[in-house]
Amino acid sequence: MLFMNIISIDLLYLPFIQRALIAGITLGLLLACLGVFATLRRMAFFGDGVAHASLAGIAIAILSGLTPLPVALVWAVAVAIFIFLLERKIKIPSDSLIGIIFTASMALGIILMRFTPGYQPDLISYMFGNILAIQTVDLWVTTGITILILTWLWFSRNKLTFMSLSEESAAVAGVAVTRHTLLLYVSLALATVLAVKMLGIILVSALIIIPPATSRLLAKNFRQYFILAIVAAEIAILAGLLASFQLDLPSGASIVLAGTALFILALIFKKKT
Amino acid sequence: MSPLSKKTNNEIFPAIFTENITVRFGEHAAVDNVSFSIEQGEIAAIVGPNGSGKTTLMKAILGLVPSRGEVLVLGQHLHDVRVRVGYVPQRFTFDRDFPITVEEFLRLAKREQCSNSRITTVIKEVGLTPLALSKRLGNLSGGQLQRVLIAQAILNDPAVLFLDEPATGIDVVGETAIHDVIEHLNKEHGTTVLMVSHDIAMISTLVDKVLCLNKKLLCSGPPRKALTEKSLHDLFGSHHALYEHHQH
Repeated sequence: MLFMNIISIDLLYLPFIQRALIAGITLGLLLACLGVFATLRRMAFFGDGVAHASLAGIAIAILSGLTPLPVALVWAVAVAIFIFLLERKIKIPSDSLIGIIFTASMALGIILMRFTPGYQPDLISYMFGNILAIQTVDLWVTTGITILILTWLWFSRNKLTFMSLSEESAAVAGVAVTRHTLLLYVSLALATVLAVKMLGIILVSALIIIPPATSRLLAKNFRQYFILAIVAAEIAILAGLLASFQLDLPSGASIVLAGTALFILALIFKKKT
Repeated sequence: MSPLSKKTNNEIFPAIFTENITVRFGEHAAVDNVSFSIEQGEIAAIVGPNGSGKTTLMKAILGLVPSRGEVLVLGQHLHDVRVRVGYVPQRFTFDRDFPITVEEFLRLAKREQCSNSRITTVIKEVGLTPLALSKRLGNLSGGQLQRVLIAQAILNDPAVLFLDEPATGIDVVGETAIHDVIEHLNKEHGTTVLMVSHDIAMISTLVDKVLCLNKKLLCSGPPRKALTEKSLHDLFGSHHALYEHHQH
């Protein structure tokens, strides 16, 4: 394999590298699949919002001496449900609502961090991403949640696509639109927070947006769209991690730049055909 | 009294029965105490001026907007007969660059008991060739897209088909073709059709019954009986020469 030849084989025996690769591949699959529906429903901003909002959850965990990931997951799910409920109660555009909630939650996180003395490595790792800092327990949580979400996505893919194209037709056909929308919000919130440790709060939404956008340039049908989005995500993650390992670059930024390069290549290919 | 409490044989129920349907948006009544019934096998149209509550009434029947009053479809509450209902919405706005083929789009609505060959049958029934199945949905013309939407709505062989302004945005030739499809479904499969239309002249030769709506139900019955000069004046507030207009 090209990847095996390029990367120093010795590196692959290091447990933290193995964890980083497994987490990257797993999250690439999850975010690409959810990204297909998020972009179809024009919810790309949602992932960005939840990622930023999760800062308050991380701050609460650090202040309370708890492990950040579970608290950030619970906080993000609560934010997602709050956005979902407010969207149905208040007549203001969804992006404005998400903007208000995510900036408020992030501001709360910044204020809370003010009360935490000293250097906070956890906080820096969540802000900018550090996939090499992923622990075995994080990996188990990531894999478990990914299996749950992908199983639901597999069985609900037609319903999700149908309601994303025509919510009213889907509702008349018996699709539980409200339940599936809520589950999509919660799934996106969980996946976003899981990926925050890899890419960082600032960059995480890139993996929800860039692989489906790349795939859309090349796909001729929905099946191809789905498959190419996954392939684009995995290539971006593996190339980004390779650059990160070999050149000692930040993992999140390397993955995002690899994904962007792939998008530009697809754009050039599309223009030529 | 509602037919639900009186009849046990599904075949003799009205296809659609509504009693005192009211839809309010705040203090404003968009639909006010509307009662009617459509028999099985009929083609009916809700007609009226813009903003008269036509689409709202259809959405109330389909449970898409909250309403008061009683609605029965085939003698049952809608959630019990969803499998026997098809719906073509008024607005189908989607990203035309989205990569989905006609076949994939149709499969979204396919139930388990619906065979694969049904997709080919249905696409022919709406006047398209099976070649259209491999086309991207975004590459279809307005008329073709409308036919595909109807194909999706009839995929599971519904007993009652709801169409909200099925000819919106398509030319007269396309509109006539859509009406031919509706007539075919009604004649060949006995499908009951309730449609919303703003063009009384075009649908008057197609439908068995019109429901004249302007918040309230102002008239109903066969077009030639219900659409009198007076009822049209009440409905639109000005002179409306129905049959003369159709001859142009």
